[in-house]
Amino acid sequence: MTRTRARALLLMPAGIWYGVLLLFPLAVVLVFSFGERNPIGGYAPGFTFEQYANLPARLSAFINTLTLAPAGTLAALLIAYPLAYYLALKVSARWKTTLLILVIVPFWTSILIRSYAWIYLLGGNGIPALLEAVGLGDIRLINTPFAVLVGIVYGYLPLMVFPIYVALEKLDRSLLEAAADLGTPPWRSFLQITLPLSMPGVLTGSMLVFILLTGEFLIPAILGGGKVFFVGNALVDLFLQSRNWAFGSAVAVALIVIMLIVVALYSRAVRRFGAGRDDVGLM
Amino acid sequence: MTDDNCTKFNKGNTTMTQDNTTISRKKFIEELRRYEKGSISRRQFLGTTGLGTAMAVLGGALPGLLPGRALAQDLGDRVVLATWPNYHDTANFDLFAQETGVFSQVNVFGSNEEMLAKIQAGGSGWDVFVPTNYAISTYVEAALIEPLDLTKLPNYDPAAFDARFADAGTIDGKVYAVPKNWGTTGIASNTAKTGGVVDSWKTFFDGAKDQFDGRVMVHDYQLTTIGNALAYFGYSFNSVDPAELAEAEKLLIEVKPHLFAISSDYQPAMRNGDAWVTMCWTGDGKQLNTDLPEIAFALGKEGGEIWSDYYAIPVGAPHREAAYALINYLLDPEVNAREALAHGYPVADARTNALLPEELLNDPILYPAAEALNALEFGAAVTLTDPNRAELMARFKSA
Amino acid sequence: MLDANAEAGIRMGASREQGTHSTQGHPSDEDCVAEFVGATKRFGAVLAADRINLRIRRGEFLSFLGPSGCGKTTALRMLAGFESPSDGTVRIDGQDVSRVPAYARPVNMVFQHYALFPHMTVAQNIGYGLRQVRPKLAKSEIAARVDAALAKVRLEAFGARRTWELSGGQQQRVALARAIINEPKLLLLDEPMAALDAKLRGEMQRELLDLQRSLGITFVLVTHDQEEALSMSDRICIMGAGRIVQVGTPQDLYDRPRNRYVADFVGKANILSGEVLSRQAGLARIALAGGAQVLVPDTAGDTRRHVDVAVRPEALRLAVAGEALGEDAMLRARITHRTFLGDHTEYLLLAEDIGPFQVNVPRQAERALGGQRVGDQVHILWTAGTGLILAAEE
Repeated sequence: MTRTRARALLLMPAGIWYGVLLLFPLAVVLVFSFGERNPIGGYAPGFTFEQYANLPARLSAFINTLTLAPAGTLAALLIAYPLAYYLALKVSARWKTTLLILVIVPFWTSILIRSYAWIYLLGGNGIPALLEAVGLGDIRLINTPFAVLVGIVYGYLPLMVFPIYVALEKLDRSLLEAAADLGTPPWRSFLQITLPLSMPGVLTGSMLVFILLTGEFLIPAILGGGKVFFVGNALVDLFLQSRNWAFGSAVAVALIVIMLIVVALYSRAVRRFGAGRDDVGLM
Repeated sequence: MTDDNCTKFNKGNTTMTQDNTTISRKKFIEELRRYEKGSISRRQFLGTTGLGTAMAVLGGALPGLLPGRALAQDLGDRVVLATWPNYHDTANFDLFAQETGVFSQVNVFGSNEEMLAKIQAGGSGWDVFVPTNYAISTYVEAALIEPLDLTKLPNYDPAAFDARFADAGTIDGKVYAVPKNWGTTGIASNTAKTGGVVDSWKTFFDGAKDQFDGRVMVHDYQLTTIGNALAYFGYSFNSVDPAELAEAEKLLIEVKPHLFAISSDYQPAMRNGDAWVTMCWTGDGKQLNTDLPEIAFALGKEGGEIWSDYYAIPVGAPHREAAYALINYLLDPEVNAREALAHGYPVADARTNALLPEELLNDPILYPAAEALNALEFGAAVTLTDPNRAELMARFKSA
Repeated sequence: MLDANAEAGIRMGASREQGTHSTQGHPSDEDCVAEFVGATKRFGAVLAADRINLRIRRGEFLSFLGPSGCGKTTALRMLAGFESPSDGTVRIDGQDVSRVPAYARPVNMVFQHYALFPHMTVAQNIGYGLRQVRPKLAKSEIAARVDAALAKVRLEAFGARRTWELSGGQQQRVALARAIINEPKLLLLDEPMAALDAKLRGEMQRELLDLQRSLGITFVLVTHDQEEALSMSDRICIMGAGRIVQVGTPQDLYDRPRNRYVADFVGKANILSGEVLSRQAGLARIALAGGAQVLVPDTAGDTRRHVDVAVRPEALRLAVAGEALGEDAMLRARITHRTFLGDHTEYLLLAEDIGPFQVNVPRQAERALGGQRVGDQVHILWTAGTGLILAAEE
């Protein structure tokens, strides 16, 4: 009895947190999504599927998000993995902490400021000027999907590095010795042992980055010059510019549904890679 | 801050008597300030980021620790102002606090739409805000602002204001808002790259697809971007006619792949040469031209926007008396002149203009010839709420 | 050392007649499956292995025994290929493999914590080595050999299980099956029993011996457990401070420890210092502290005056009173602890002028001794010719 009560007490903060800050707003968004736009903007009560029927009007935003978010996740993964591998398995203990801190140092500044720095790097007087100096002609980088990709990878790299680092860090080195002992050259043991056993980290990092990317709006707005439009940007516009809260809510609900599907696929993948193992967490 | 900005606008006729180090430090700060202004344009930035309420809290954080002043009338200790970026002389807020004991908490926003969204959502907590002419009637209709008690605004003299920039604040004979500043929306072009001043929306949009490919910027703002595309065809800047809007949409979507960006934060790209031509507000045009003379500012021949901003008090303002005191203070011609020197936007108040330097009043960018102004239109209220224009903009951006 | 003696007590037992065949045999090249030649390994300033010379005989069960840090694991890892010697060479089947990486060596290892691949089933773990063979083996052949290996370690029903679902003993058998499937020239075992409880350890030790007999593969075991080494090995290589201290059969090491280090590490021994009074006919007359004299085989083969003498607890006897016969010595002592252990009783005593002793008294002799208690005075009988003189420590 007291145990139950103690447990209830301990869970209360989390319960209130989820109840007030997650479920309630979610319910509001759901209700709004079936409503209508007030003539002067905002929300007018109603029950209509019109907003959902209108979703194709933001199709390109969904397509942009669902191509650039996976592309950004993949690019971040390809850059983060070798870095995490190096940090976890190659760096001496003396330097490890310093290098790990360096990975998170960018987080000490707002992503806004850092993205503005990229405007200058990718702008005409930045990298393109250098490329031109070596004879590579008129290359424009800023305000392209490529620039958004660069910003995304840059902004989210630490979120990818850390889970992979943790997975590799706890990798039992004797497994690699066992593989070598059984006749496996190093590159093959990477594919057969290291990579599969770091998959939980890879999946967690990818999931974190992917989910955050699907809601991203800042980086496309700043580095895409408004021409690379994510669902996040559509939401900002719908709530703050055209003030079509009903439609905005429908778009948000659609985005949440897409994320849920991705998370479901993720948990299935986790089950496949680590069925029953206690060292494989669900994020 | 005030001094630095004064220095900037009085450059040439101010004699500096301080020693060299002070001057060079001042110059440094001046440069820094100019850079800051350049990198953040008036209406954008926060609109871009969607982080609507970046806050500059001026002494308001710890009012109890600061000396207050006993007044006949109890104004409270703070007032919350929602305004646009770089639109005030911060020293004026300090002086206001010294005089009244009321500290100003300043929130800056990116667009009228965003301000409206905040007020509609309720609980904005604002005492004073700065809507643009075309938004006021919407606020009145939705009963979001209240008529002003002019007896509390002795510094407001309707006779001193150019009616063009004041009458949008009066609806059905009631004064809901009093004028702050006015301006235009034209075209800034880097003549070193374009080979001439771009002074028509025809050249602007046709050039974007042709000789200025990849170098043109339009605002991330339905009123001006759609309005100027309408002006290209000779239609009203404010049109909500579906056929006319369809033409404007076709033009915008055709041009989109050739644009450098859809952003109201155009100063950085103009300054570093990435963009050559942009839609541009008066103050930004002036700042760009001052720093880089090759950047010219012109109004579109076919027409375009003229606008004026107002002070208003939302219904349910928590510090209403302080709100009146602040508006009244900012309407004081001397205070207003300091404001104008700081932000560089034209003032509609003759009493204030009398205090401003001649060269500022003769500036062709800030005060275009009357004929040029005649082609311009004030934004219409309908554009703010018209769902078709909002959707058109969204389709354009996501195309 | 004193404490150790007090607890462990001592004796250097066993009569001289017992087996003393060559401790450092030199197998012919044909019989030698692997060999260390002056193999030295440095890790920075640490000398982990110091000029190791050792020939491992084909088919034998050899143990490296010593406390942690003695170099036994380094020696094993040099055989496996995880370390290459800083100096000297390691040979397998006559070939210098010092620079051959682990994956190219015909040896396999059972790791201390088994190092089973957690993302593979039991069968996949066992077949792993076969799947690494190039050119690739036929799937059917791999399957058949995995089944055979599963049968060999009695895990037929567990092929599809995940490794973490198995008990410690089962995991160890998987590790074993995985290591033998490629029929290595040497099977290396790195403290494989350390993680098992005592009862299971005994079972596994017997299974391991059976397996070795049936496979005929050379086993090299690393352990710090002297009982394990004694019970399983054909030969034991005792290591200390990176060096080989003594190599020999378990009985050799027990009966003829070269020095104090070995005597102390293998079995229990009373180790006493004394002064050589005379040497005659292979016996040395030694005066212990307090003047008592004992006759001990002159095993050290040198002419030192001050020597350490070792005698196993079971080589001594206890008597209530009486006189020593002939050259036997008799030491007065007081019983400090008495522990009944079934087939024998362990007495810890404090001998006058000398110090702590341990004497093990067999059940039958215990009866003759009568009910002596802690605190009672007794005599320790040291038969002439019992014990040995230890070589000086290096």
